[in-house]
Amino acid sequence: MTILQASNVHKTYRLDRVEVPVLRGVDLQVREGEFVAILGASGSGKSTLLHLLGGLDLPDREPAGRVTFQGVDIRARGLDTYRAADVGFVFQFYHLLPELNVLQNVLISAMSMHGVFGYLSNRAAATARAEALLRAVGLSHRLKHRPAELSGGERQRVAIARALVNKPRLILADEPTGNLDRVTGGKILDVLLDLRAKEGQTMVVVTHDEATATKADRVLRLADGRFGAS
Amino acid sequence: MYQVLLTRRYLFSKVMPLLASLGVMLCSAVVLVTWSVMGGFLVMLINTGRTMAGDVVVRWPGTGIPHYEDLIKRLEAEPSVEAAAPVIEAFGMISPPDGSTEGVVIRGVDERFAGVTRYAEIIWWRRPEAPLPKDTERRDPRLGEISGTSWDELYGQGLKLQRRDPRTGDLRPAVVPGIHVMGTSRRTREGFYWPRVTERRGSDGTREEINQFMPRDGSVTITVLPLDSKGQPLEPFSSVLPVANEFQSGVYDYDSRVVLVNLAEAQRMLRMQQAKRLARPGEAGVVEQPSGEGFAGQDSPPALVDDPARVTDVVVKGRGPMATSAEARALAARVEAVYTKFAQDHAGNVPDVMDVSIMTWEDQNRTFISAVKNEISLLLVLFCFISITVVFLVIAIFWSMVREKTMDIGVLRAVGARASGVAGLWLCYGLAIGLVGSSLGLGLAYTIVGNINPIHDWMGERLGIVVWDPAVYYFSKIPNRVDAWHAAIVFAGGVVSCVVGALVPALRAAFMSPVRALRNE
Repeated sequence: MTILQASNVHKTYRLDRVEVPVLRGVDLQVREGEFVAILGASGSGKSTLLHLLGGLDLPDREPAGRVTFQGVDIRARGLDTYRAADVGFVFQFYHLLPELNVLQNVLISAMSMHGVFGYLSNRAAATARAEALLRAVGLSHRLKHRPAELSGGERQRVAIARALVNKPRLILADEPTGNLDRVTGGKILDVLLDLRAKEGQTMVVVTHDEATATKADRVLRLADGRFGAS
Repeated sequence: MYQVLLTRRYLFSKVMPLLASLGVMLCSAVVLVTWSVMGGFLVMLINTGRTMAGDVVVRWPGTGIPHYEDLIKRLEAEPSVEAAAPVIEAFGMISPPDGSTEGVVIRGVDERFAGVTRYAEIIWWRRPEAPLPKDTERRDPRLGEISGTSWDELYGQGLKLQRRDPRTGDLRPAVVPGIHVMGTSRRTREGFYWPRVTERRGSDGTREEINQFMPRDGSVTITVLPLDSKGQPLEPFSSVLPVANEFQSGVYDYDSRVVLVNLAEAQRMLRMQQAKRLARPGEAGVVEQPSGEGFAGQDSPPALVDDPARVTDVVVKGRGPMATSAEARALAARVEAVYTKFAQDHAGNVPDVMDVSIMTWEDQNRTFISAVKNEISLLLVLFCFISITVVFLVIAIFWSMVREKTMDIGVLRAVGARASGVAGLWLCYGLAIGLVGSSLGLGLAYTIVGNINPIHDWMGERLGIVVWDPAVYYFSKIPNRVDAWHAAIVFAGGVVSCVVGALVPALRAAFMSPVRALRNE
């Protein structure tokens, strides 16, 4: 069953007066529970596509393309709601909030999704879930530490826990091991895949790392804003 | 929820918010200190302006109000009236011993004047209850003894406007001029006065020092222009009168231009005392038999009637503080009702109620009070400018903070935070800085205002900076009370300014593209 679909997606950036087409009519279907890896060189539009799939950005209006999740256009669902409830992001540079400790960085997703009163009534459950995830990624002893006190691998584990805390159906990872050495990157990917396997999420990873791609169910190659042969 | 969490973290983890709070604190403190001191100063001025005026005055200048004692009796029978006193107000001239002549306002008053005004408090030459705040070395001459008389006697003289003649022992009607009328006293930096000492060189070359302390043995010549009962001017009338004391109200206009004169003497000089006059045609009078040669060329002596004593003003003090305009207006309405009945009972002999002026103390000091209110308005305009400065300060600081926190905004949007939530974060942050800054500002202002006199003294002693010079300002102490309402307004103004200042950066953060924010562009 298709959970995520991109149809005729175009994206053009405007730099001063120059239009730079990045995506030129991308079509993509991802089945529920599938792990898809998108490979491509730098500047091929991988991250742009991921942002469009995650509702962080919108495709060009002309020609009209769209992204649907569970058969519903993500714009109709509401981009904020979609990002909060259905999607978990993992970024190459972790993007943790430096003023918050590890536990708070994970809980920030729950706070965003529930709102003030919703969070207060679900606080205990959300905290238990966050602690369980941090335990699962091996950081139960680092709950009160700030990101600056963690290694790169540990920071990415926190980012993974943050992506999963709201039990999203879809995980979008943008070069999750790109900022880590090979050994650490491998371990991080194993953690991510383990958790995904336990919770049954669909995952789309963009990477330029062939080793990462080999673990995917399906590999797509993006070149010049279009998918080539898989 | 994350707004509160992040606001708390942002507030104490960066220098920028501390600087913003510091800016708000200083602005709030400056505004409140200025408002408290200037506002206190203006309130003191207004109160001082009331010192010589009752709450309400009934005025008929020129020929004056006859039967005023009956009017006073009727007024004092009113429950809302505490006391009433007769006053004569006229223009005249004073000639001190130095030979100069100054135009002054003559106010004829008697002992009752102290019962309707604060006159008793402003008589200067008496023993003070405590040294003046700045007179730390106790140099005020009133703290010592006085030769030839006593401070209590001088005070009594001032209250009664009489002075005992040293040769005969009789009490003579006297004057009490404002302390700057004659120029015989010099004001010091501490706020008290020294009688001037002049030097007289004798023909044999000897020098004699003359102490110009007028209340002990000085006299002045007062000249007035009396009017007849029809209001026509008569010949100027001069009288040499002893000086009983001097007063210092704190309002330079009064202290340099008003001379209080014993009421009976003022009536005599202005021909407003009780007298006999010829009866008008049709008016019943008493024919007095001539004791001597009779009236040459007349069949019978003319009929005479009593012409009662007159005053130009009857000053009324209401019961209670009469702090508001409404209270004074209510009292004026009662006074008007009493006067209406009085005029009916003395029809034809006293001015009609439509002719006399019945004014509250605010009406009498309208020009002065308007000036004071204009100053307050100007002050409030300045406060608005300071508030606008705070707004721009917060905009500038928050703008750069939003720039610094662009990545955080991107992360928040990526995890599902709504645009309104991100805007709420920055508004919450502005609110927090406003609350912290304004609270600290209020604390600082209370500390400064509460200790402003010691601080000012310290600045004068150590740095030689004297901002509030008692030789210039009549109040020797800087107002040191913070009005709770003013504090609340400044606090609210500081908080609102911060929230308004945070609004533009908040909107910028809210409308930031999540992708651009994550890329930190």
